Amino acid sequence: MAVSFYLMGLVLSVAANSGSGSSALVRTVHDRLFSPWMVPAWLDLGFDYRLTYGIPDDAEHLFEVRPWGASGAPRRLPDLGVGGERAARWRRLARAVARGEADPDQEGVLPEGLATGLFSLVGSDDVSLRVVRMLPPDRLATGTGPVRDEAFACRLRRVAGRVQLIRDTPAEELAPLLPGSDSIDRGPPRPGTPSGPVGPAADPPPS
Amino acid sequence: MTTHPQHSTADTMAAAWTRLWFEPAPARPLAIVRILTGVVALALWWSWSADLLTWFGPEGLMPIGAVRAWRSPWAVSALDALTAPATVRGFHLALGLVLVSLTVGFATPLVAPLAAVGFAGLLNRAPMLAGPADDCIAVLLWCLVVGRSGDDLSVDRWLPARAGRPAPPPHLRNQIALSLLLLHGIVITLAALLAQSKGDAWWDGSAAWWLAGREEVALQLQSLYRRSEYLMNGIAHAITLFEALFVTGLCIPGLRRSAGWLGVCAWPVVGLLAGEPWWGAAMGVLAVAAAVAPPDRNRQPG
Repeated sequence: MAVSFYLMGLVLSVAANSGSGSSALVRTVHDRLFSPWMVPAWLDLGFDYRLTYGIPDDAEHLFEVRPWGASGAPRRLPDLGVGGERAARWRRLARAVARGEADPDQEGVLPEGLATGLFSLVGSDDVSLRVVRMLPPDRLATGTGPVRDEAFACRLRRVAGRVQLIRDTPAEELAPLLPGSDSIDRGPPRPGTPSGPVGPAADPPPS
Repeated sequence: MTTHPQHSTADTMAAAWTRLWFEPAPARPLAIVRILTGVVALALWWSWSADLLTWFGPEGLMPIGAVRAWRSPWAVSALDALTAPATVRGFHLALGLVLVSLTVGFATPLVAPLAAVGFAGLLNRAPMLAGPADDCIAVLLWCLVVGRSGDDLSVDRWLPARAGRPAPPPHLRNQIALSLLLLHGIVITLAALLAQSKGDAWWDGSAAWWLAGREEVALQLQSLYRRSEYLMNGIAHAITLFEALFVTGLCIPGLRRSAGWLGVCAWPVVGLLAGEPWWGAAMGVLAVAAAVAPPDRNRQPG
C-alpha cells in the first residue's frame, strides 16, 4: 500500500513539475496530497533534465558586479579560478535571477535578496549587477569565442537602511518614438545586448 | 484443466509485482550503492564548503526571507534558523561527518536517515542552487534509508564478523530499496528523454554543440564539431539513443543487468559531455543498483 502510494506521488511529481505545465486536476491532487511531505524530503522533482534546447536560456549564466559608476573590469561570479559544482551553483543562481524576472510572482525577489550579500562582497552600498549569458558562437565561424548576451541588469543600493532595486532599462525602450525617428542618432549599440559587440559591458553613467 | 487467459495474465502480473517488491534480497548490492552514493554525496557536500558563509552567513547572498518568497511553501530546512557563522559551519560539518559515517557503514541505521534529512535540508535552504546531481543523490539517500545497506561491506558488519557472528540473512527491505532505485532510474531517464524530445536541438543534432560550449564541459569537442557536423550530430543522437536503450533495458527483467552495466559505463560519459559530471556519476550509481542486483530479480515474469 505504501509502495503504491509513493509510486503515485512519484508519477504526479514528474507530471506536475514538468516544464510543459500540468492540468489543474494533477496540480491540485499533487499539491494537496503529496507536496506537503515530498517537498521537505526533496523528492518533489520533475527530473526533466533537458540539458539544452539550444536557446539562450540554456546558455551558461554568470554575474558581473561592481560598485555603481566604477570603471574597470567588473567582478565575475563565479570567479575565474572557481570550477566544478561550486561554479555551477553560482551559474544556477544567475539563471534563476534571469528567469525570475520573467515571472511576475518572482520578479525582483532574488535580486533584492542578493543585495545585502553583494554590498558586503563588493564593499559598497551601491552596486551594479548584471546577469550575462555566454552563447556559443556560430559553429562555422572559426576562431570566435562565446557571444555575450545581457539577460538582466540592475542597480542595487541601500538608502536609509532599505534596499532599492533600479532596473537598467535600455534607453531605446524609454524614449518616445517620433515621426521620422530614423534620423535620430541612437549612437552605437549598447554593449552586452545581443546585437552589440563582444567585450566587457560598460555601466551607464551614474544618475 | 484450462486456465482463463485473463486470470492467467492477472496471476502473472501479481507474481511479477511480488517478485519485484517482496522477495528478500541480500545486502551486498545495496552496500555497494551506499558506498558509491556516499562518495558522490561527499563531493557535492564539499562543493558547498568554500561559499557556505557567502550563501548562508549573516550577510549572505541567500537571506531566508528572500528564499522563502521564492521556494515552495512546504519547503523547510534546519538551516533556516541558523545564520551565525558557527552554527552554519556546525551544521555543515555535522552533515559531512554523517556522510562519512554512511560511506563506511558505521551506525548505518542511524546515519542513513540523518544523511537524507540533512542533505534535503541543505537543498531546501537554497533550492535555486541545487542541480540534477543533488536531486539524484537525495533520491539515493532516501532509498538507503529504506534498505539495510549497513549489513554488508561496512564497519557495522565488520565488528560482529570479528566476534564470529554470522552475516544477516537476505531481507525484504533490501529488495524494496533496490526496486525503488530501479524505478527511479527508469523514471529519471524517461523524464529526461521526454524533455529532450521536445527540443529541436536534440532532433537536428545541434544540442551537442550547445553542450560543448559550456565552460564546465571537461571534454573540449568544439574544434572537432567545427570540422565534422556528422560527429556533432552523432554525439547528440548517441545520448538520446543511450537513454532510450537504458530505460528499455531496465524495464525488461532479462536485460536489466546488461542495461545496468551499460549505464555504469555511459552515464559518466554523458555527464562529462553535458557539463554535469556529478549528475552523470549519480546516474551511474543508480545504474549500479541494476547491474549488481541479485540474479533472481532479473527472471522473466511467469
